[in-house]
Amino acid sequence: MNLHKLSSRLCPTVTQKFRHLHIQSSGQQLESVAVETASAEPNPLSVFRTSEQDPAYHSERQSGQYYTFPPAHIQKLFPHGLPPRFQLQIKTFNEGCVMVRPPALELISYLKRADYSKPPLRYVLYGDTGTGKTLSLCHALHYCYTQGWLIVHIPDAHLWVKNCKELLPSSSRPSRFDQPIQASHWLKNFKITNEHFLSKIKTTQRYVWTKRESTEMGQPLGELVDQGVNRMKSSSDVVGAVLRELRLQAGGITEGEGAFKLAVAVDGVNALWGKTSLKKEDRTLCEPEELTLIHNLRKMMKNNWSGGAILTALSQTGSLFTPRSAYLPNELLGEEGFDHMEPFVPVSVSNYDEKEFESCYLYYLDRNWLQHPHSRSEEGKKELIFLSNKNPSILERLCAFL
Amino acid sequence: MAASVRYLLKPWTPSLYLVRWSRYNPYYLDPDPSKDARVLESELSPEQKELQELKTVRPIKAALSSDTSSSFNDPLISKFINMMMQDGNKILARGIMTQTLESIKRKQVEKYHKSPAAKKEEIECNPYTIFHQGLENCKPIIGLASVQKGGKSYQVPVPLTDNRRRFLAMKWMITECRDNKHRRTHMYEKLSQELLAAFANEGNVVKRKHDLHKMAEANRAYAHYRWW
Repeated sequence: MNLHKLSSRLCPTVTQKFRHLHIQSSGQQLESVAVETASAEPNPLSVFRTSEQDPAYHSERQSGQYYTFPPAHIQKLFPHGLPPRFQLQIKTFNEGCVMVRPPALELISYLKRADYSKPPLRYVLYGDTGTGKTLSLCHALHYCYTQGWLIVHIPDAHLWVKNCKELLPSSSRPSRFDQPIQASHWLKNFKITNEHFLSKIKTTQRYVWTKRESTEMGQPLGELVDQGVNRMKSSSDVVGAVLRELRLQAGGITEGEGAFKLAVAVDGVNALWGKTSLKKEDRTLCEPEELTLIHNLRKMMKNNWSGGAILTALSQTGSLFTPRSAYLPNELLGEEGFDHMEPFVPVSVSNYDEKEFESCYLYYLDRNWLQHPHSRSEEGKKELIFLSNKNPSILERLCAFL
Repeated sequence: MAASVRYLLKPWTPSLYLVRWSRYNPYYLDPDPSKDARVLESELSPEQKELQELKTVRPIKAALSSDTSSSFNDPLISKFINMMMQDGNKILARGIMTQTLESIKRKQVEKYHKSPAAKKEEIECNPYTIFHQGLENCKPIIGLASVQKGGKSYQVPVPLTDNRRRFLAMKWMITECRDNKHRRTHMYEKLSQELLAAFANEGNVVKRKHDLHKMAEANRAYAHYRWW
């Protein structure tokens, strides 16, 4: 009889737990309840980490929580795409974790609902320095990669308009300048990201590089890319040819084997319409229009093709001859750039709010990164908030030496 | 009474001119910028109570602009930054110090995350404890002084004050990193390597300390030439 009473007392609690499971069906709650059956404490992992690793299923529920990039994806998708300090962080913590934040969620929701038979929409991420534009772009790009899109990622357009050691006059056009090192480096990384597409896409035109070298019509794109990687002299023109092929074929076949969607991601897009710091042989400043790579990229930014999306982010940090306080699209793109990019969808990125800051703080504590005993106290946390103003990059630099 | 206090507050020159001296009258007390300076009256010992009362009466020197009231302020690290500073470029020296602490922490945290769970507790990740302990391991216990006797000068083993030991440890660390390393490495890299080695009681600075100890041991015979 006692056993019967015991079981009847236990049963309601068990059915309650099942009801609990049924109502809250999101991933991280299930995980926490599964662990909770023994103790009543909430699982601390579920506060700042989410178990939802697929960016397609990210929603406001995971806002402020960290999700991990799979290491295989980092190697393939971001051979050169991540900011250098973030790469150091991946190396130190032995994992690549990114916070799910509203700007990235907004961008992914637009990508899900867009109509890909129409010309591509241009999305511009803008915000103050260090608020997380580049990482939001990488988050959205990870979503595109998991959906099987073809990724054209220029990690920093500013690198193509400054500090160029070799500036050759173009082999094909008289008034243009080539940048062989930058172009071949980019083609190598493009090859790593999109290996499986290179054999499927065929060229539609015959390209002649020199008297003896040419690529025939109907060759796979992989050959074109190899041509650019091996022969540095014509690599800038190869980049132009690759971009042209992708533009023509992205919206061509909608169903079936050859179909693919094109994601063009450019970070520091204001470099395309700003000034360069490169000089021609007669010591006059070079215009960005005169560089082959920039010219071809500008053509890519026009929405006269279909079957993809253009994701861009502005950047003041690497830009030339722009004031430090400028961060709005109007100020950074300039008149020419704004007219070229219009109409676009602006997405604003701002500093952390309370919940996100809390999440970041807990993540650093979990990874054993905040070592100073005072930084682990309440007062130390208030000091960190005061010193960084909840700006993600300043907080990261502060916590680095604390 | 008022006249004597006014005399004590005037600018002061020492009776014996030293190379480095402060214009403050020794009547002035040192500032204590930390927030923990205010402790409950009941917890203080009688000497500390006297000190507190003295602080309410006596004038106090102005605080340095590099001192902060936050608990992140570390006097040893400030001293090290001042010693590293060249031509008054405190910003550069402080930047090098923060980069050093960051690189020490990165190396240790990377090791921590890659090691199995059993060995994780042995790895020290706090760059401040590594810095303090490393410098402690570089401090010599006994030093040598040159004493002239009968026309010849001898190296005599001599005890060192705490300040002198701390100064020698920091000086050796900085000169070692400036001179004996590869030209193309950054200062923060060199410092982080040397500090991690000193923490483990290895490296050139600890070797220099051991050499000094051996010399002092070898010159034991001249110890009684010291008259102070």
